[in-house]
Amino acid sequence: MSNSVTITKTTIDCAQFSTREINQQLKALAAEGVQEITILNPQGRHNLGVGLEAPVTVRFQGPVGYYCGGLGDGIRFTIDGTCGWSVGENLMSGQIVVQGNASAMAAASAHGGVVCILGDAGPRAGISLKGATLIVTGSVGHSSAFMMQQGRMIVCGDAGPNLGDSIYDGEIFVAGAIASLGADAKLVPMTEQDWQVLTTELAPWGITAKVHPFKKIVCAQQLYHFQAKDFSKWKDAY
Amino acid sequence: MTLGEGTVCGIAGIIYRHSRDYSRLGSDLLTLIQPLESRGPDSSGVALYHSHQPSSVFTIVLRGQGKSRWQDVLQWFEAIAPVAQTAAITNGQRIRLDLSGLEGLDLTTVRWGFRQQFPDLHWVSAGYSLEVYKEVGAVANLDNAYGLHDFSGSHGIGHTRMATESAVDTDHCHPFTAGTDLAIVHNGQISNYYRLRFQLERSGVIFETDNDSELLAHYINYHLQQGEALESVLYRLLDVVDGTYTFLVATVDYVGLVRDRTAAKPAVIYETENMVAIASEYRALLNLPDFNPKATVREPDASEINIWSTATGLKLAPPLSKALL
Repeated sequence: MSNSVTITKTTIDCAQFSTREINQQLKALAAEGVQEITILNPQGRHNLGVGLEAPVTVRFQGPVGYYCGGLGDGIRFTIDGTCGWSVGENLMSGQIVVQGNASAMAAASAHGGVVCILGDAGPRAGISLKGATLIVTGSVGHSSAFMMQQGRMIVCGDAGPNLGDSIYDGEIFVAGAIASLGADAKLVPMTEQDWQVLTTELAPWGITAKVHPFKKIVCAQQLYHFQAKDFSKWKDAY
Repeated sequence: MTLGEGTVCGIAGIIYRHSRDYSRLGSDLLTLIQPLESRGPDSSGVALYHSHQPSSVFTIVLRGQGKSRWQDVLQWFEAIAPVAQTAAITNGQRIRLDLSGLEGLDLTTVRWGFRQQFPDLHWVSAGYSLEVYKEVGAVANLDNAYGLHDFSGSHGIGHTRMATESAVDTDHCHPFTAGTDLAIVHNGQISNYYRLRFQLERSGVIFETDNDSELLAHYINYHLQQGEALESVLYRLLDVVDGTYTFLVATVDYVGLVRDRTAAKPAVIYETENMVAIASEYRALLNLPDFNPKATVREPDASEINIWSTATGLKLAPPLSKALL
């Protein structure tokens, strides 16, 4: 006979708590070994589930505000709704799925793991990406992958103007139309390995990579050693 | 974790599609801006377009510090048009002129005259429908000061302020107005404010404050006065005004929402068969009494201009993104 009961699943109703209390509860529950947590009534709140460094599965039943899952490490979040700015900001590892549109700056500065937007993302999606994978099944907005340093952004829809402006490294794949490329971003041919990567990354979301005309964008590396007088290598941001 | 450009000032707007909802305007708009206090804790303000005054009544809202010469002010206005009604409001006066016997009002001359006669007083708003109320501190202060939750009207815009470019006092609060019945609320900073201000001042425009946001009201009003259509003015504004801006402009007939070329500041649009509501953040919309989670909620694109007719709540034209032109 067991003397202790291990709770593996529980629910938190945001309506009853401050954001700080919710986040403290999430950390405490994760430390106790709770594996699945359902968050009710997120009501577009900001900063839900930030700084959670535990392999815990959290489902948000409703739209969330800014920075959901930010600074997470090992988390597995699903958001049943839209999210605000900077979902998964600085994610270290794990996965965040948004079943709806993301606002600006999805996966901003994310270091590892996967952020998947099952909808459109707004401007500056993947800004300063540092190693994570951002997947957007819809389109991304203005200046996406701005100052990207590492990682992979996969866009099944269109990309807005100024894509990959000031990119350092990493790879961008866009299946739809690209409004314009940003400074030092260039199109390069797809390789067989690229197609394999896309197939692997998109299969979990029910997307067959090969039927979409993906294009690859990387850093042209013309601005690595920058000379102010090389005006032809500049791109006018306006 | 930085908050960065996501914070700083909140804006909101409401347009009702049906007159049966007009009685809710004051209450709904205050409810909508209240959660945005965390974006702008310094002060708040609303521009309301009432539905109940006769069309010949012209309302002017004025503010003054301490013991102002309101009797002198009323006398001065009486020489222009009969004062139908006047009411003392917190630190100010609301004057309703009866223009039924006149052929309109030469507002430019009146403004210049008023500025010369009463340079210490602040001209807050003027129009046949428009009334603007502002106050420092929380949104509750605004309601307490002016009793706005009973205000009935077709549409309105509101603002919560975090002062970044100019002083925190009531006169520097949004909404800013220009001309007749035009008001704006703005989230962002205008970089070429002074250059554009000087150009407008040389054309006879009077600025009430040194708040950069006020420029938007005067720029738009000036070009509307030249006969340009609102949509055309707003498109030109995207090229002329430098900085970050998501703003709402309201007139008697229209409410326009503009986002700058990089979508630096947030905006969310909520549309149902009863109303259109705009707010800086999604969570503010949840406060609306009959919030419908299944309603159309969208974020306008960079350079996107949305204009709604206040008579119908319908969009004037499909949203056009300048980037695609």
